[in-house]
Amino acid sequence: MKSMKDIIIGQMEKGPEIMNEGAVAKKIGKDIITEKNKTDRIVRSIHTESLNLIVSEIHQVTSDAKAIRFVSADGYLPVFEAGQYVNIFTEINGVRTSRPYSISSSPKQRGYYEICVARIPTGFVSDFFLDKVKVGDKFEANGPQGVFRFNPVFHYKKSVFLAGGSGITPFMSMTREILESGADREIYLIFGARKAELAIFHKELSAMAELHPNFHYHLVLSESDSECNFRKGFIDAKCIKDIVGEIEGSTFYMCGPPVMTDFCAKALEELNIRPKDIRREMFGARQDIQNEPGWPSNLTGDEVFKLKIGDKVIDAKSSESLLISLERAGVRVNVCCRSGECSLCRVKLVSGNVFLARGVWARHADEKFGYIHSCKAYPSSDVEIEF
Amino acid sequence: MKNYDVIVIGAGNAGLSSAATLALEGKKVCVFEKHNIPGGCGTSFRRGRFEFEVALHQLSSMGTEEKPGPLRKLFKEYGILDQIEWIEIDSLYKVNLPGGLGVALPTTRKGAEETLIKQFPEEKASILAYFDTVYKFCGEMDDFAAASANSTGGEPSNIKKLLTQALFAKKYPYLAKYALKTTDEVLEDFFKSKELQLCLSAYWCFMGMPPERFPFYILAKCTNIYIEDKPFYLRGGSQVISQALTEAIKKAGGDVKFSCGVKKIVVENGEAVGVIDANGQEYRCKKIISNISPIHTYANLVDRELIPREAREYLSGYTVGISALTCFIGLDCPPETIGFTDSFNLIYDDLDANETFKDAYTLFPDKDPIIATCYTVDDPKVSPEGTSIITAGTLKYGTPWEELNPDEYYETKYKAANIIIDRLEKRFPGIRSHIEEIEVATPLTHMRYLNHPGGAIYGYEQDVKSSFVFFPREVFIKNLTFAGGWVNVCGFGPNYMFGNQVAKQVSKEVK
Ligand SMILES: Cc1cc2nc3c(=O)[nH]c(=O)nc-3n(C[C@H](O)[C@H](O)[C@H](O)COP(=O)(O)OP(=O)(O)OC[C@H]3O[C@@H](n4cnc5c(N)ncnc54)[C@H](O)[C@@H]3O)c2cc1C
Ligand SMILES: Cc1cc2nc3c(=O)[nH]c(=O)nc-3n(C[C@H](O)[C@H](O)[C@H](O)COP(=O)(O)OP(=O)(O)OC[C@H]3O[C@@H](n4cnc5c(N)ncnc54)[C@H](O)[C@@H]3O)c2cc1C
Ligand code: FES
Repeated sequence: MKSMKDIIIGQMEKGPEIMNEGAVAKKIGKDIITEKNKTDRIVRSIHTESLNLIVSEIHQVTSDAKAIRFVSADGYLPVFEAGQYVNIFTEINGVRTSRPYSISSSPKQRGYYEICVARIPTGFVSDFFLDKVKVGDKFEANGPQGVFRFNPVFHYKKSVFLAGGSGITPFMSMTREILESGADREIYLIFGARKAELAIFHKELSAMAELHPNFHYHLVLSESDSECNFRKGFIDAKCIKDIVGEIEGSTFYMCGPPVMTDFCAKALEELNIRPKDIRREMFGARQDIQNEPGWPSNLTGDEVFKLKIGDKVIDAKSSESLLISLERAGVRVNVCCRSGECSLCRVKLVSGNVFLARGVWARHADEKFGYIHSCKAYPSSDVEIEF
Repeated sequence: MKNYDVIVIGAGNAGLSSAATLALEGKKVCVFEKHNIPGGCGTSFRRGRFEFEVALHQLSSMGTEEKPGPLRKLFKEYGILDQIEWIEIDSLYKVNLPGGLGVALPTTRKGAEETLIKQFPEEKASILAYFDTVYKFCGEMDDFAAASANSTGGEPSNIKKLLTQALFAKKYPYLAKYALKTTDEVLEDFFKSKELQLCLSAYWCFMGMPPERFPFYILAKCTNIYIEDKPFYLRGGSQVISQALTEAIKKAGGDVKFSCGVKKIVVENGEAVGVIDANGQEYRCKKIISNISPIHTYANLVDRELIPREAREYLSGYTVGISALTCFIGLDCPPETIGFTDSFNLIYDDLDANETFKDAYTLFPDKDPIIATCYTVDDPKVSPEGTSIITAGTLKYGTPWEELNPDEYYETKYKAANIIIDRLEKRFPGIRSHIEEIEVATPLTHMRYLNHPGGAIYGYEQDVKSSFVFFPREVFIKNLTFAGGWVNVCGFGPNYMFGNQVAKQVSKEVK
């Protein structure tokens, strides 16, 4: 007996013809088996969810910083854009955490990824990388990720890079790429460091500047002794204007400690640069979160609150992000950027109050339904969260 | 091992709405989602001070408060209607023809007819006859759907009797005549002017089928429901609905697991009995609703030797559909500065839409029609003060992108975006100089976030032989069924409603 469907179609104009087309399609169509794992394979060649890295080389680049190169344990490192970072997971004294590091090597070669880690005063992971890590050590990582990069659709060909301390790393990758590929671009790199001997990659950058007329490199030292021949002070409006000359028609990129990029942002404002021509890498949480605008005045940073998640209750210090407290307690949280942008660490705030640092890319829906990015949220009372 | 009544694979629109329905009916339900947020296509992302909507152009079937449409009623049932700030859009779309003529259709039938008559006075009679046909056709479609729904299983119902007596064509003449026709077949019958045809066929870009293959029934239905129920947008974009549904599911006792894809469907004695998640955890259930493609459901989640041969044969009759190449643009000026006046634009640089559609199989958007939207036009609050958000893109198949050498990926992506901006610059002078953010999504981006074959955004090709009564809804593994754009008309409204419909059926079966 004919099915109801067939009966209806039989009475429609073009019905039999379409049924026939369907039957033919079935004969010549593709077997679904050929699709097995195909999308995974394709996506992985560009965006690999998780990387298995092995340290292949370590170079001391200054007394306080090391360049660390990684090769892939699986033989493939995905493509990336100069300026992007990888988030590397570590396990230190039983605490699993991670830190993002900008790739400093050129995207034109992917035999290895190079990062460069600088020591910071009360560092945790940075100390570990500088003091403990050796060739052959294995790490899990995610990335490459990040949107601090050259976008040819609307960025000018004249780039002004403003770097501070280890913030030189993404610029190293960008500069290497541009100079190696002979791209038609002009770069002004203004690099702020405390002393010349602490300026990461200084020698290499100076040599590149000698060789390439389209690369202008200027070191600005904040703690220099009087006889050195570098610029002194900070990267302010005058310094930028003096070095770059014609400001119009340039895109500005800033990367470095928040104090430095805040300072440079003011300088660019003085120069009337449009926001669209300014790119800023968040470069992680600041250590002195108590000095962040909006920090609750009744808190010192030493308070310890209770953080409830499921049936677990853990300690949470007011000057540490919820993410860090969760990691200290061994709770697994998805993370990548650790600077409020990627939303991977998102949790729901069920009760209590938090202080949200600047630079969080929250979605409208998150704000509406009480979701926060735990990497940029600091407890200001006892809190309860859920995933 | 944890037990559920129903497990839903994927938190896309149909996945979420089916889970919400089940949870509200008191079933124990769990949604597994690969991504860290809900929504699938129904999502958004942030760049700088902008939040970009990924997929929603116009929400259908909402209706107004006075005259609620089916989706408004459904959202009310879910308890989420009042959590959302709805924005009624005041034009259906604007078609921008080669040579610079732009025709914007108002959201009333009369307004639309008058606008077209003004522009194409010599075809006045045909324009009126066409709208009449669209309305009669949709009326019959609704009647037929209602009659089918009323006919109960076993007994030879009235409708069945009617059909077997070859009376279908008598009772439903418009259905019989038009249901299996393509858009071009119908429009060419009615109209002489190619321009006029393009002004009426605009919705083809919602399904990614060129007019010569776009089923007329979808065009008629879109025209009818967007006029009757008005097109809607909402503050915060579709992510707000996705999140609201997630909260509704949880509130009703359901579970939603993020960053937790399903790795395997457990099949025993030919029946689906549970799933294994990405962490290797196993869960048991009475029914599974898959919100992902049937292709991945079988090929990736079921052990090869357990995939029914019939399923493989059946699905080989369906072709993976189109994906998209989209620029998400944040401008540092209001839309009027560059002359953007309507929220939804279809831009043709060539009158032959079928011919230019052939470029959909290539990498670069040199001639393809461009779809450009700007919701700042309808609600300045969707972006920060003094700015605007424009989404501009074109439909592209995944294949050439899949074949691209990864080393060329970023360069190719920016080159493609540049072509789109160049083309927009001609219509909206100054656009490039106001760009503050631009992100480019390619078919591979869609593949990454949705995990669909070919990066398909509308599931299988929605041509006449694969849609309507031909949707691939047949079940081959007991207790494993589907809800979503791969087995239904694509779109937000249709899939919220279809998810609800599938869930109601499933709910009856898991008593
Ligand atoms: C996109 C991006 C790119 C970056 N690129 C670079 C780069 O190229 N080079 C570079 O040097 N840096 C880079 N950074 C910064 C880098 O990620 C780290 O912030 C930096 O290395 C300092 O890490 P740290 O752990 O030493 O210190 P912090 O990140 O300041 O971490 C200290 C934190 O660790 C917590 N902590 C301290 N002790 C413990 C403990 N025992 N257990 C658990 N938690 C503890 C404390 O709460 C404190 O908040 C980048 C950051 C971002 C966001
Ligand atoms: C660019 C674009 C523009 C569009 N424009 C419009 C428009 O204007 N109007 C309109 O109505 N419609 C539009 N659509 C179509 C509409 O968005 C879709 O038809 C609809 O959202 C489909 O929903 P779905 O239920 O099929 O789920 P999908 O959105 O396809 O979601 C499937 C979900 O399953 C998840 N998943 C995949 N694999 C697994 C696994 N193994 N385990 C767990 N989870 C998994 C995915 O992460 C995803 O969340 C557009 C779509 C796109 C992408
Ligand atoms: S880890 Fe990216 S937002 Fe917190």
